[in-house]
Formats: sequence, C-alpha cells, structure tokens
Amino acid sequence: MPEDPTLAVAAGGVRRPEGAAGRMVGRSVPSDQARAAVDGRLEYVTDRRLPGMLHGAVLRAKVPHARILRIDTTAARAMAGVRAVVLAADVPFNLLGPSEANGPVLAATTIRQVGDPLALVAAVDEGTARRAAEAIVVELEPLPVVADAAAALSPDATPLYPTGNEAGRISFASGDVETALEAADTVIERDVFTPAQEHVAIDTPGGVAVWESGRVTIWCGSQNPGLHTRQVARAMGVEVADVRMIAGPVGGAFGARNDDPMPTLLAVLAKAAGKPVAMRMTREETMISGAKRHPFSTRLRLGIDADGKFIASDMTAVADTGPYLTSGPFVLKTSAEMSVGPYRMGVARYDGRVAHTNNANAGAFRGYGVPQVAFPLETAIDEAAERLGVDPVELRMRNLLRGGERHGLYGHVITTGLRAAETLQAAAGDEWWADRKAWQAKAQGPWRRGTGIALAVKGVGMGSGRGDAARARLIISLDGRIRIWAGPNHTGQAIDVAYRQVAADTLGLPADQIEVVVGDTQLVPESGATAASRSMYAGGAAVRAVCRQLLEAAGEHSLDDLPTLAAKLVADERAEFEATFHLPDVSDTGLIDPEELGTYAPHLVYGASAQVVRLEVNELTGEIRVLGVVCAVDCGTAINPGAVIGQAEGGVAQGLGFALMEDYRLADGQPVTRSLENYLIPTIRDVPEIRTLLIAGDEPSGPMGAKGMAEVVIVPTAAAVAAAVADAVGVRPDRLPITPEMLLMARAS
Amino acid sequence: MKVNGHLVTSPEPDTRLLDYLRDELGLTGSKEGCGMGECGSCTVLIDGRPACSCLVLTGQVAAAEIVTVEGIAEHPLGPALQEALIKNQAVQCGFCTAGIVVSAAALLAEEADPDEDRMHAALEGNLCRCTGYGAITRALRSVRR
Repeated sequence: MPEDPTLAVAAGGVRRPEGAAGRMVGRSVPSDQARAAVDGRLEYVTDRRLPGMLHGAVLRAKVPHARILRIDTTAARAMAGVRAVVLAADVPFNLLGPSEANGPVLAATTIRQVGDPLALVAAVDEGTARRAAEAIVVELEPLPVVADAAAALSPDATPLYPTGNEAGRISFASGDVETALEAADTVIERDVFTPAQEHVAIDTPGGVAVWESGRVTIWCGSQNPGLHTRQVARAMGVEVADVRMIAGPVGGAFGARNDDPMPTLLAVLAKAAGKPVAMRMTREETMISGAKRHPFSTRLRLGIDADGKFIASDMTAVADTGPYLTSGPFVLKTSAEMSVGPYRMGVARYDGRVAHTNNANAGAFRGYGVPQVAFPLETAIDEAAERLGVDPVELRMRNLLRGGERHGLYGHVITTGLRAAETLQAAAGDEWWADRKAWQAKAQGPWRRGTGIALAVKGVGMGSGRGDAARARLIISLDGRIRIWAGPNHTGQAIDVAYRQVAADTLGLPADQIEVVVGDTQLVPESGATAASRSMYAGGAAVRAVCRQLLEAAGEHSLDDLPTLAAKLVADERAEFEATFHLPDVSDTGLIDPEELGTYAPHLVYGASAQVVRLEVNELTGEIRVLGVVCAVDCGTAINPGAVIGQAEGGVAQGLGFALMEDYRLADGQPVTRSLENYLIPTIRDVPEIRTLLIAGDEPSGPMGAKGMAEVVIVPTAAAVAAAVADAVGVRPDRLPITPEMLLMARAS
Repeated sequence: MKVNGHLVTSPEPDTRLLDYLRDELGLTGSKEGCGMGECGSCTVLIDGRPACSCLVLTGQVAAAEIVTVEGIAEHPLGPALQEALIKNQAVQCGFCTAGIVVSAAALLAEEADPDEDRMHAALEGNLCRCTGYGAITRALRSVRR
C-alpha cells in the first residue's frame, strides 16, 4: 500500500483543515498507480495489445463545410492488409446523441468542420490503416463557411441546421438593470474576448475494443463511462448492458474525455472488422478534431454606488460551440450562474447565446464556462477599485457573499459552507500581496513590476434540478476484505485513493483492508461524470453512505474481526451493499420558478479560489515573467491535501497558459494551431512558485466536510494576471492570451 | 544496440526508435504524446544523454546503449528519484512521468546538486499538463539533497 504515515504535506503554507483528525482523512497519500508509472510498468488503455488485434485509422475531413457527393473506397479495400472499411451507412444508428446537432458518428451527407470523421479503416498495422484511409476518394461540393460566432447568429447567416445557428440561450434578469445602471455613481464597461483553449492531455484519445458474443468491451479513456456506454449502445443498436467501458488508466482528461467520440469509433470499427481493434489519434488529429474550451465574446457593465456597493451587473455573451452540440448549452448555464461571481448584486442580468459555426467543436474544459465570465467581471472590479481609489480586496470584501446568503443573480440560498471571504483574506494576507508596493518600487531596468488579485467561485456538481447522483457498491468477502466500486473515475486526480481514505475513517479500519475500484461500467454503478468538481463531493459521499450501511448491518458486531463479521453477513445474505448519494438541490430557489430549476441549474455548493499573481513586464519587448502565484482554495475538508495541492498547482498552470500563451486559432474554419509547435502550453520554466493555501472549512452536505475544488483553481488566474499587468504598466488587457505584441500595441495607442 | 543492458537484434534501420521499443520489445513505458519531439514523453537515454525517441531512427543508434524508463532503476539515483516522485505526489495521470524520470535521472547523474536554472533546462522539454510542475520540482530537490 502506498500510504506512508510519515508523509508530510509538501508545499509551503498549507493549513491543515480543522476536523481532519481522522486516521486517513487529512493525510497526503500518493496515487495507487504512481509506483507503476515511475517504473514504466503502468499499462494505459493506449498501451493495450490483444492477440490478433488489428489497427484502426480515421479518414478526416480537410475542409470545414461541404456536401458529400461520393465516397469511393475501392482502392482502399484493395490494399494488402486492409480488413475493414466503414462508412456512415454501415453505422446502425449514425448519431452521437439524440439530436442531429449532436453530430454523426461518421459524416454521411455534410462535412461541418475540419476533422469530421468520414471513414474508418482497420488493417494489420497502423501504417497500412492510415495509408488506406488516405486512398479513399471523396468528392465534395463546397458550402459557405460560417467562421464567426456573432455573424452566425445574424438572420442572413448560412444555417448549419434547419433550425438555424443558435444552439442555446440563457437569459435572466433579477430586476431592472438599466434603471440601476443609470443610478450608479460609477459604471465600468468591459468588452472582452477569451479564446478557444486546447486540453493537451498528454495521452491522445485511443484504446482497444473487442466484440464477443454480441457484447463489446472498450478500453478507452473516459470521464463519463456510463454516458459512453449509452452512446455506443445507441450507435450500435445494442443494449446498454452489452457495452462495457473500462476507462483507464488514462493520461489526463481536463474535460476532453467528456465529449470524446473515440469509444464509439472503436466499437464501430471492431464490429466491422470482427477482430479486436486498437486505434489512437495523433496529436494533430486531436488538435484538429477534439473539443476545445468555448471561445467567448463577453460584454459587461458593472454599476457601483458611492459606498462601493455593486448595484447592477449586466453581461451579454456569445460562445462559439462549433458545429456540434456536446456541452455548449450546459457550459452556458454555469457561465450565467457564475457571471456575478461570489458577490451580492443589487440587480443582475445575463444574456448568453451559443452559436453553431464551422469552427472547432467546443465542449467541456475544466472551469466549464466560468473562466470566460470571471475574466471580465474580475478585471472590471479591479478597474473599479483603481478608479474609486479603493483597495481591490476591500472593494470585494464590501460586496462578498457569505455562506447562507442569496445568490447575486438567481437569489437562491447557497450553502453555509462557502468561505469566499476567508479565502480572499488568506490570499491577501500573503506577503506577496501585503508587500507589493515595496516590491514594485524595487523594479529595475525595463522590467516593471506588478501584482494582481482575483477571486472566483465554481459550482460543485451538475446543479439543481438535474437529478445528479453518485453511487457506490460494497462487498465484504469471507477473507475479510472490503471491496468498494465507486463512481466518478480516476483520470489523474487519485480520486480512488481519496474514496479509500473516506471509507477507512468511516469504517474505522486501516486503509489496506479496503480495495477501491473505479472506471469499469461492469462493476461500478452509474455515478455520472468525473466533471463539474463533483467527484470528491458526490463520489466520496456515496462511499461514505455505503460504508455506513455496512456499519448498520454489523450492528453490535465489531469490525475488528472482519472474517467473522463477513461470515455472519454472508450467512444472512447481507454482505453486499449499494448506496446512492443524491446531490442536494437548492431548497430556496429564489427568483427561479421551481418548475424551471433544471433550466438554470443553480448550485447549492460552491468552491472558491482567490489568487495573487506577481509578475514583471518588459517595457521594451512586452515580455511577461510570472514570478509567483498565491492560490488560496476553499475546498472544505481536504481529504488528501497533497492531491488537492496538486490539483491547485495544475489548475493554476493551465490558468497561466490561458492567460499568457494558449490560443487555439482557425482561419476561415481551417485550424492553424495544429501541433504543440505552434500551440504552446506552459513548461517547467513558465510556472513559478505557487503557494497553495487550503482554507479551513466544512461543507455540511459533503463527505466529512469535503467539496470540489479542481476547477475553480483555473478560474481567477487570468484575471489576476491581467490585474498584475495593469499594475505594472497601466494596460488593461481586454483579450486573452496577453501576448507581448498585444501589450506593445496597447501601450503604443 | 543495447537496451537496458541487454543486447538486442538489429531492427530495420528506418524504424522509429520509439516504435521499436514499444512494438518490438514491448517496452511500453516510453509514451508518444506528440510524435514531434515537443512533449518529451518518449524520452530515453542514448549513451547517457536524454533524447526524444520519436525523433530517432534505429539506424542512427545501431551501436548505442539505450536506457528506457524500465531500466532507470539500475541507473545511479534512479530508485531514489522514483521514490521521491511517488512521495511528493508528482505523479497524477502519470503519462509524462516516464519522460520526466529519464530526463531527471540524466540531470542528476551529471550534476548532483543542480540549481533552478539547470533543473529548468533539463526538464523544459518534458510537458506535464497535470501537476503544474510544483511536485516534480519538490521531488527533484529532495533527491539532490
């Protein structure tokens, strides 16, 4: 077992949460897979090899919008070593979801983006499969390219679907915003753009599928194996029970494996080939056809009164979801809810639209629409603080929502567990914030110094009215072992380890008597996605609930002698347990009609993060050097503090990438940034020291006080960077990433 | 060619070293993350120097000694480095880890106490999307002490 009782939390400045006196909870425990990973022995789904296995390849569209006239596979089929060629007509039900806009498995009549899969090939080796795919002849009739999201929503735009290009809209106002803005002493206006961001999980999508007796087993990375079994079953016309997903080990996710069609492509091709098939996307294929973070154009007007109170917020947003519906409308829900941040607002309005274009499909990405709205809101607050001559922390503190209060847009009552104020104060208490003026004064040469701060919240779970639930199953066997099959899956966060920590302390047993399995749909009851910051909160709560069932069944019998207890429970036919944790909806829905709760999906529980960024800007070149980040996190009880810190540091690094270098670009529907040569992500040199502060807290509805935190840590980073840039050189960036060119041009004007 | 101390039969000279290691020798610890030498997940030691095995043809290294992540435990400091990465929770998804282990082993063999700049220079070719590099840096510091 990897647990090491001597292990201390590694990073500086960690506060051990209160109420974490349990034997396992509150200890930093490495991933179960770590040892095999450092030895190179860990077999990822993309390493898997089966006897007699074939290799697959995908023929992908090279143009963004066209009608398919003819596909000729004669030459490909005639190539030595080719075993199967699959077209749209060969897929029993050729859709990835219930509606046409969810996109086809293989394009049949229309190409809607570069990278659309047109055909699948299975051959004796990968090279043959790829050459055969390229030998397929495709005749196309070009269609006008819809390359701009705002233009796509105009009435004269080319419609991608009969119903037009609007893929979703959320519009909500808590009162008369215009009147409130007129009455405001100060109105800050922001008009910003945040770009598409690529996940760059280092393991590209792929895996193996094999059909046996009408059932398929798919080894393929997934953040939502249950959803993928349903997607495969729909496409193949089989029962969901006949599809088994084994979703790991996998190399990273970050949202990319929510919407990934790879499990379905594998199942389709393996069925046609009649043999096990392995397939893996190249980095270029992934960058061209994989989902991105939604690019957003956002306008905000923030009205403030003479006392520095936020009296009105008005945000409009247009998001580009590309041609297919995956997460777009849901991303918009979290954008709307988080558009007012963790603040009280006199009145607020949000009007967001999602547009279909022929650009890269956008889906789920860590933060799920919230970094896009936090950037305009937090930079507006920073600008307001400067204009009013108020400290930016003080201005936020005057308006901060406390636990148990009403949400700034929807007016629903939130959990008492929110610690946004404490989180902000902790970040501001760091010397990097406290001493910023003295530090700035010591700047030398062309390197100007600046420090910025920003705050954000992100809802935990899918939101109210969505029926969100997680489940766990427990078996106590005669050898005295406890096995738990639990939901949201491990894609890098060692969530299975945290489940075991919760189980160990709930049962009062050593962790090594408990085995936890995640990610296999044949064993794990449906528990939803490793997404929405819900795994620790919901999966952990289900594990705790199932452990309590065992305790109840044991009654007065001790767990010290597990084999004896097991024998008794087996004899009583009570040795197997299953529990469901229903994520609590808000009980006071505020301004939302309870009948429409799922339309807005407000959250009861939020995680918070406040961040301080200190950096230097070269006045002559516009170059930015980030020198340090303070990341305070409101995560409730940190079940596995070292893992929480790892999530915080990883999230901040992705936030720095989003702020400073990551920019997925297309030109008239053609992807420009197709590889890691021109799409840059932070290296070890780009990420400074990150001081993670875990704020003592206790979420009443979470397992042992825990809640989700792995998304919110990416949210405030870009706004804190922008505030630091403004502090250093007086330029307020209005688009991301903040590049040297942009800074120089802004300073020149 | 020697791989992890064992003489191996000469492969076709135009095979990528990464494919030879993974597909012919079954050493799947070295990973392909980009195939263009950008991510470093396929890093191996060629005569003691780290290189991206996706950019090397076997014909170029026919007489070389190759060490992959599977052989790093035999390397001086290898086990200590691996232990440090585990203990510092520097392994999240673990997919970049093989390359990190190999690059870091090469660095520590060359310089027992590298400063920050040397550490950055040695590891900037290894992309990690999970950790933000903090735990990796702490692990390396704990080994060098």
